[in-house]
Amino acid sequence: MNENPYQPIDGQVVDIIDESPTIKTFVVAPQEPFRFATGQFVELTLPGQGEAPFTPSSSPAQAAKMDITIMKAGRVTALLHQCQKGQKVGIRGPFGKGYPVDDLVGKEVYIVGGGVGLAPIRSLFLTLVEKIKDFKSVVCRFGARTPEDLIYKDALFGTWQKIDGVDIKLTVDNANGDWKGNVGVVTTILNSDDVNIKNAVAVVCGPPIMMKFATLKLLEFGFPAQSIYLSMEKNMSCGIGKCGHCMIGKYYVCKDGPVFTYEQIKKYPHIWD
Amino acid sequence: MKAVFIRELKPLLDTIAEQMELYVPRKSGEYYVFSKYDPATGAAVEFNNIRVCTPVKEFLFPLRELAAVFPEPAQPPQIKPFAVFGLKDCDLRSIEVLDKVFAEEEFEDPFYVKRRKNMFIIASDCSDPAESCICNVLDGKPYATSGFDLNVSKIRDGFVVETGSDKGEEFVEKHSQLFSEAPETLLGQRDEERVKTQKQLEQQNAELNFNRPVKEVVENSEESDVFDQEAKTCIECQACTRICPTCHCFYLYDTSQKDYFAKMKMWDSCMRMAYAEVAGGANPHKILGDRLKHRLMHKFVYFLDRYGLKMCVGCGRCIDAEAGGVDLRVVLKKLSEELKEKQKAKVAK
Repeated sequence: MNENPYQPIDGQVVDIIDESPTIKTFVVAPQEPFRFATGQFVELTLPGQGEAPFTPSSSPAQAAKMDITIMKAGRVTALLHQCQKGQKVGIRGPFGKGYPVDDLVGKEVYIVGGGVGLAPIRSLFLTLVEKIKDFKSVVCRFGARTPEDLIYKDALFGTWQKIDGVDIKLTVDNANGDWKGNVGVVTTILNSDDVNIKNAVAVVCGPPIMMKFATLKLLEFGFPAQSIYLSMEKNMSCGIGKCGHCMIGKYYVCKDGPVFTYEQIKKYPHIWD
Repeated sequence: MKAVFIRELKPLLDTIAEQMELYVPRKSGEYYVFSKYDPATGAAVEFNNIRVCTPVKEFLFPLRELAAVFPEPAQPPQIKPFAVFGLKDCDLRSIEVLDKVFAEEEFEDPFYVKRRKNMFIIASDCSDPAESCICNVLDGKPYATSGFDLNVSKIRDGFVVETGSDKGEEFVEKHSQLFSEAPETLLGQRDEERVKTQKQLEQQNAELNFNRPVKEVVENSEESDVFDQEAKTCIECQACTRICPTCHCFYLYDTSQKDYFAKMKMWDSCMRMAYAEVAGGANPHKILGDRLKHRLMHKFVYFLDRYGLKMCVGCGRCIDAEAGGVDLRVVLKKLSEELKEKQKAKVAK
């Protein structure tokens, strides 16, 4: 790690992929060696404009370039969406603890995702399928607002479906004419027999309201709070547990998270706000 | 620890000022502020009987500073040794809090650490606490017992100077001609003064006796509406957090200069509406009362859980600075009464 944790390293956007009307994946090449663990996040700087936290959506094994999937949601992300290939960026990090991949070995991994929350999940998913035999199964339940809001469509409808040990179901809140799948929020495709809860771990990432209701559903199924891993989205700024903006109780999401078990944070107020 | 005697402050401060920049208290209106000491002006040296108005964090963690420059990394700023005279026990304990955050092993803040290493601390005893001083109910004393290089106590005919670190010890040895022995009688005088001030604090804060740890009082207030009630007069000026010596939230922002880009660090405040807001619009502290609650939870519960000490040193600066009339003492007292009632009701059941 850099001696000055506020100093970004140089990077360049080498490709931009349109995922949905509001979401793009930026392929970023750091100009010096950069490693991260799945679920850790980086602070991406648009020089002179601002920075924002993102969890890379690619596998850590692919070290020379990382994918960062970004939804146009605020000032910095809107500026990023205007960028072209070749744009210089700054990268700080990686920060936080990421997903506890070692603890998932031998388990049924039950992944619940929504919207742009599929970004961190893609990184985890790719990490898991690299050693798919280490895990009992990977069961995915993903949702989006509409079919066109679903990201990583090629993988979701194609390559990922074909992997042995993987089971994927999709839903959308509102369908148009072509959609043949389930219509309803993501909790409508969660079933208590999707996995054997005694040997399963749940991973949830998505908009706060979806995370809340997915968590409640999982608890109802009998998942213990310590087996539900949540990717918390707070206002991570410094990345090193100092500036204070991302606190959940005594935790700094940037340093202690962004992945927490529900057990860790359930007693604190406003976790879903 | 070694104690010596000196009749006047000027020779001591002149000697320090020969070696490094020295900041001393200067009266400005009814408060003290720090200003650079200049031996040549011959201005009288002031001994502050109470904490300086501005928080000591300004020396270690300035209001705004350059945190990064790119594409070419900036040369780290040259920090020369500097000294501050007139810091009180509350100030030293606030440095202890800041050390936990900025000097922790895993992620050091290089700017803070550099300044901290170059700081020479000359503390002094309080003899005239303000009405807002509540250090005695928050683990503090009107005099320091650690965390300084030198400590100065005013007695009848001069000052007792005590060393508290190797740096302080070396200073006294090197400049032994400035000092004379401090016999037991003088230390006795000093201790008498200390007891007197401590008693004064205990008297003025007698009503702030919670009969239970402050942590428990605040931790049990999750459902309380005291925060909403007390925040009603808050005008969101954020003065409470700016002047607080332990508040350390900052805002990182990017700027564009003629031939480089920079990241700046600037003080921020958890009392600010958009403080915790994320790009998607979610904001855990939308309501003012919730922000006040978070501020107190951080100070009395979360920080303690994480670092083992409270993040409030009881200096009372936030009370003095309050433009909206939110008084920490009143909030704590109301929470304490509420908890007592709750527990009474529980017993009755």
